[in-house]
Amino acid sequence: MGYVAAGYAFAFGGLGLYALSIWWRGRRARR
Amino acid sequence: MIKTLSQRLLGPVTLVLLALTFWLGLWVTPPDKVQGNLARLLYVHPAIAWVALYVSFGTAAIASALYLWKRTRSVVMDRVAHCAMEVSTVFIILTLITGSIWGRPTWGVWWAWDARLTSTAILGLFELAYLALRRANDDPELRARRSAVFAIIAAVNVPIIHFSVDWWNTLHQGATVFTENGNLLVHGIMLWTLFLSLFAFTLLFFWLLRARYRVEVLRAQRYDVALDEALAQRRREGVH
Repeated sequence: MGYVAAGYAFAFGGLGLYALSIWWRGRRARR
Repeated sequence: MIKTLSQRLLGPVTLVLLALTFWLGLWVTPPDKVQGNLARLLYVHPAIAWVALYVSFGTAAIASALYLWKRTRSVVMDRVAHCAMEVSTVFIILTLITGSIWGRPTWGVWWAWDARLTSTAILGLFELAYLALRRANDDPELRARRSAVFAIIAAVNVPIIHFSVDWWNTLHQGATVFTENGNLLVHGIMLWTLFLSLFAFTLLFFWLLRARYRVEVLRAQRYDVALDEALAQRRREGVH
């Protein structure tokens, strides 16, 4: 189950971080 | 900006469907007869690869082609191509990572120089090169044209990736969901969760693309304001 947890963590975590980076860049562009 | 209902719903619907995929994939679907719990990665890896290769890269390639065609050439096409390519790069990196995590327990190795894996990695390198190319030129028109041509060249890799499992003897499995006769090999809740994951990650792509596009528009507006201010400053200096 460790491989499955790692797969889900990378998939959802990675996309979450990318979404966060878009939000951050948008915030900077608005300033 | 007035948001239409679909635009307002895109984010919440995407999050609900992704949460549903997560829950069904990890807790509700049964383990596979052959792969056991590892089959749960079926609800993540193929969907991410689908978005990376076809939806996201496809959007970037079509937008690039439309930019190169004079009748549809516009800054919108250039921005869509750029933003979709960036999203595709993230998805392709995650495709390689999740695939590698699946490969270690099933094949015994994290990585193999297999045709499917290698061609996917090459497309990832092309995408990184595309993003680097965009930073290498300040002239917007030249940048857009060169990037569009580069994206079209990179698109040649997509059919190679798609058919690699048929053209070569690969470690990566061939078509898993449908047989050559069109019969289904996955059934019940496992099949529905698989389709749900494909739909949820596709919606996520459109949500990310829209958000990323808006950042690009904001940056362009900011650049215009900064340019106007710099020109006004120079004019004032000229008066004194």
